[in-house]
Amino acid sequence: MKTQEIKQGIKLHTINTNRFKTNLVAVFLSIPITRENVTFNSVISSVLRRGSKNMPTQEQISKELESMYGASFDCGIDKTGDNHILKFYLESINDRFLPQDSENMLKKTIEKLLEIVFNPLVENGSFKQEYVDQEKNNIQRRIEGKIDNKAKYAIERCTEEMYKGEAYGLYKYGYIEDLEKIDAQNLYKHYQDLIDTCKIDIFVSGKIDEEISNLLEQNENVKNLKPRIPNFVQTGNIEKQKVEEKQVSESMEVTQGKLIIGMDINVKDENQKYKISVYNTLLGGSANSKLFQEVREKASLAYSASSSFIRHKGNIIISCGIEIKNYEKALEIIRKQLEDMKQGNFTDEDLENGKKGIISAIKGIEDEQDTEITYYFGQELSQNEVSVEEYIEKISQVSREDVVNIANSVNINTIYFLKD
Amino acid sequence: MQLIENLKIEEKVYKEKLDNGMTVMIIPRENTQKKYIIWGTHYGSNESKFIVPGEEAVTEVPKGVAHFLEHKMFEQANGTNSLDVLTALGVEANAYTTNDHTAYLYECTDKFYEALDEFMDYVQHPYFTDQNVEKEKGIIGQEIMMYDDYPEWKVYLNTLEAMYHKHPVKLDITGTIETISHIDKDILYKCYNTFYNPSNMALVVCGDFKPEEILEEIKKRLVPKNSAGEIKRLYPEEPANVVKNYVEQKMEVSMPLFTIGIKDVPSEEKVKKHIAIEILLNIILGRSSKLYKDLYNKGIILSQPSLEYEFTEGYAHILITGQATDPNVVFEGFKSEIASLKQNGLDEDEWSRIRKMIYGGYVKEYNDVAETARMFLADFFKGINSFDYIDEIESVKSEYGLQVLKETFKEENMVLSVVKKA
Repeated sequence: MKTQEIKQGIKLHTINTNRFKTNLVAVFLSIPITRENVTFNSVISSVLRRGSKNMPTQEQISKELESMYGASFDCGIDKTGDNHILKFYLESINDRFLPQDSENMLKKTIEKLLEIVFNPLVENGSFKQEYVDQEKNNIQRRIEGKIDNKAKYAIERCTEEMYKGEAYGLYKYGYIEDLEKIDAQNLYKHYQDLIDTCKIDIFVSGKIDEEISNLLEQNENVKNLKPRIPNFVQTGNIEKQKVEEKQVSESMEVTQGKLIIGMDINVKDENQKYKISVYNTLLGGSANSKLFQEVREKASLAYSASSSFIRHKGNIIISCGIEIKNYEKALEIIRKQLEDMKQGNFTDEDLENGKKGIISAIKGIEDEQDTEITYYFGQELSQNEVSVEEYIEKISQVSREDVVNIANSVNINTIYFLKD
Repeated sequence: MQLIENLKIEEKVYKEKLDNGMTVMIIPRENTQKKYIIWGTHYGSNESKFIVPGEEAVTEVPKGVAHFLEHKMFEQANGTNSLDVLTALGVEANAYTTNDHTAYLYECTDKFYEALDEFMDYVQHPYFTDQNVEKEKGIIGQEIMMYDDYPEWKVYLNTLEAMYHKHPVKLDITGTIETISHIDKDILYKCYNTFYNPSNMALVVCGDFKPEEILEEIKKRLVPKNSAGEIKRLYPEEPANVVKNYVEQKMEVSMPLFTIGIKDVPSEEKVKKHIAIEILLNIILGRSSKLYKDLYNKGIILSQPSLEYEFTEGYAHILITGQATDPNVVFEGFKSEIASLKQNGLDEDEWSRIRKMIYGGYVKEYNDVAETARMFLADFFKGINSFDYIDEIESVKSEYGLQVLKETFKEENMVLSVVKKA
């Protein structure tokens, strides 16, 4: 991967690869997430895909993309560390695999995506009223839709409980009561501020024959962007205050109970993240992990029992779907696994195997276009560049002692249970 | 080995039918780190009534055996679990069951051949005991309950129940807690011995392989077995009409979920018809369609519904799934759009634009080793060579599309399934 700063605060990352049939272009806008801006950002992301200056309706955008052999546009919103990330993607087929000699598809893909993100449809100094109204409605439904996937909802709720009153506890789609403050004018104003101050990262992955940086520098939409000292929260070291363990339960119409345990870990430096990754794999990150083996295979209590490491926030989230009456039993088994990890009750083989699993996954990163982009973007946010080779090296160096130390620094923050 | 090459997308597949009746397909990819292998049997949740080769009596087993078998294959006589052994090697192993096939697979970057030893060993050596079968009922029971909480799964199953009178496609792949309670080790062995015969299986590998070399490696790990005769699969006679046109279930969801189903009959021209239906569905309700624009602007739908055509031996249907404030409005709009297309015909420009888009979608399926291999396996059991989609699409014209529209998109064969708040 090659990174260049096109202007201050605006970076171009190019990944030249011949592994894919497609070109993938991505634009990420990063900004600190706050209660004041979260709902605005969320509506902006939706409004932009409705129309641009040169493709003013969704129908026009769709027709254009269809005739580009089904170039697929996607946009989404993420929370990474304390940042809100607005993500926009456009994927198209590489010229080599198109039936006729058509125009330069990569160039066109880059131009179309930049047009959608940076050159929106503006009427009398504001966004189009109709689009804003419809997208406010759309976001409202999306916020209401939080309850639809019970497993995801439970994880979301546990996170909210852990980060009450803090940036990371905010719901990434925003809040219904804040929608009414939004109109076409103040939303456009908000968009302009966002575009002028946020961190901008542009990724281009594919079989690249030309100078992408020239192409970008000549692009009108890029020319109009101002240099900036990018306003974002560098994700990295995370200090945790020790908190009292908290239990929260909620009732909903569910057949199966969802047990979520949110845990805190201090992240003193980047190196520690490799150790936590290994710890997480042994605890609940694979089919050989303690949670999968004990909760599912031995106790037959669950179909899904796993844990995941939220690397930008220093959390491990355990998640199990269990019969509601087995809550105490499952919790007891999980606590025992945490304790066993503290005591170092795992074999050297477990440790080596866990590391192998992570390494294999890392080696495969370059075989997935979007995963590779996400990998490098994560590093961009933590301002810590690590090649795939270095990453593998760091994982291989993790020792038993490292894992036990991590285990002893893990604290349960919140136990959340969704039942009927 | 037979070499099938597709120059348009620079892909090739080597295909060999072994003496024991098993088909092996090798898709070489020089540039990837990842290697992927998938081994499937042409046996899914639809097979609960059949005649074992060489027998005369009909065997009938509880619903959910194929999926139960899939879970239980990993357990070995020496006390190990093959999923653990494979995971320990750093490979990512998994298995799944569909209506018409069951597949075992792993993906890795290193240790491919060590994993191959374990992989081919466990698929060929079942080990079922009363005790390990009982234990699995608890785990599968939780899997069934997990699906019970997925409204998208319920809306799908209800659609099938509304369309099919008897065909087992309408039943849950996992079976129910009641049906799996009747499964024991003898049933599992009987189904294993019947359906896991090499002549009923196919294997696909995709990655940086030399075809001759990997073929030899696979062959030497095969337990000698003779190709069995044909398994007679018995499906109940399924009437062409639907059971009912509307089905509804109450669940706690923020906005109603819906599936529109259109019951169809399998066609000889599988690929051609599949392509035509994909184009038609996008003309009717795709992102650039008038209907989508109307529904979106009225706030009835928030995103594009998924548009699918599912088919295998014995059944075929279209499924359109999404969320809408009022699913009836979507259904009515859908029906009237079809009526108007039948009357006014298809627009040539639109047809060729959407066809370009569909072509792009097919090409993208070759990006990932896993996706490519899974596609070749699933298509193989349907009697399809996956490259046919790339090769035939140019020849699918709008006249044919109009014919399919008239034959398949019949109002009397449509059902609407809704899941909404009480």
